[in-house]
Amino acid sequence: MREPDSSFPDADEHDLIEGFARVVAVEGGRVWLEPEQTSSCGACSSVGLCSIGKDALTARKLAARRFPLPGDLGLRVGERVVVGVRDDSLVKGAMTAYGVPLLTILAGGIAGQELGHGDAMAALGAFSGLVIGLIVARVLANHLSARGVLSPRFLRRAFDPPSDAECHTDHG
Amino acid sequence: MQHYLLLIISAALVSNVVLMRFLGLCSFMGVTTRVDTALGMGASTTFCITISAMIDWGVDKFLLEPYDLGYLRTVAFILVIAAAVQFTEAVVRKVSPTMFQLLGIYLPLITTNCAVLGVNLLLVEGKMNFIESTVFALASSLGYSLVMVLFAGLRERLALCQVPRLFAGPPIGFITASLLALAFMGFSGMSTN
Repeated sequence: MREPDSSFPDADEHDLIEGFARVVAVEGGRVWLEPEQTSSCGACSSVGLCSIGKDALTARKLAARRFPLPGDLGLRVGERVVVGVRDDSLVKGAMTAYGVPLLTILAGGIAGQELGHGDAMAALGAFSGLVIGLIVARVLANHLSARGVLSPRFLRRAFDPPSDAECHTDHG
Repeated sequence: MQHYLLLIISAALVSNVVLMRFLGLCSFMGVTTRVDTALGMGASTTFCITISAMIDWGVDKFLLEPYDLGYLRTVAFILVIAAAVQFTEAVVRKVSPTMFQLLGIYLPLITTNCAVLGVNLLLVEGKMNFIESTVFALASSLGYSLVMVLFAGLRERLALCQVPRLFAGPPIGFITASLLALAFMGFSGMSTN
């Protein structure tokens, strides 16, 4: 079978955060993947074997985190692959999802405190700031998603670990 | 303004929630093997701590204090934290499903993070008003995130070093953490909480 090329055209220019995923469906020219690295000890490449990794999320939650990859990559259901996102995607995502609402909460709270000189107005201002921040975050996230900044990309096939492999987490 | 600045320095550096108050140590050791996971965990925790502190301030001020229910504080705060985590999960999923792929995995870990409960209990102890509580919670969690990312960077470098076998893994991690805590002691005396 043809080995699919990496779908990361600018992979050389950016460091990548890599993760393991398994192909769970191929529908309409799209490949659906389920991420494997789900636990706090995400650095171990044998995470698929580890009981911590398996118990971290229920099947329902894992199913909710499935994501598609566009294009014909020649992958089959059950295959284990390595996917990646650019290292600045996480920072951009965190700043958008959490940073923007936190800033508007603070701005709204301070504005409420200055205008109303009381806790009730400060709380009202902060919660209004939260709502505004979430709306702004959604707009920014849609913009980033449309540009494909946040989407994981296929990098390469991963080998299944042997059945007698052990999980080693004793890295410095 | 100076008051808030001192509050921020005090919460983030002088009384750092991890290295000075020794809260949130499980995530400090468990999620700091890579900078990107530490960053994701830090950002998620910052958001959850701030949201839960805002709600907990209201719960304490308008429910627990007036009805003399202080003995229910810990239970009530844990409930609020769990709800705040669920709220955050729903929000991130709604804001962007692709962002949820990146950041969603850290959220279940926050529910059991004692730093979140610790910061909320410290707010009650400090008898702060709403905006002070929010600023203190935000600064405390930013201090937590700062330490997480610093420590993750050090551990990434340590992974490339020739560490004696007896010290490899968690032992050298704990030694590094203690040195980092000693470094943070240098901030003592800049401001008092």
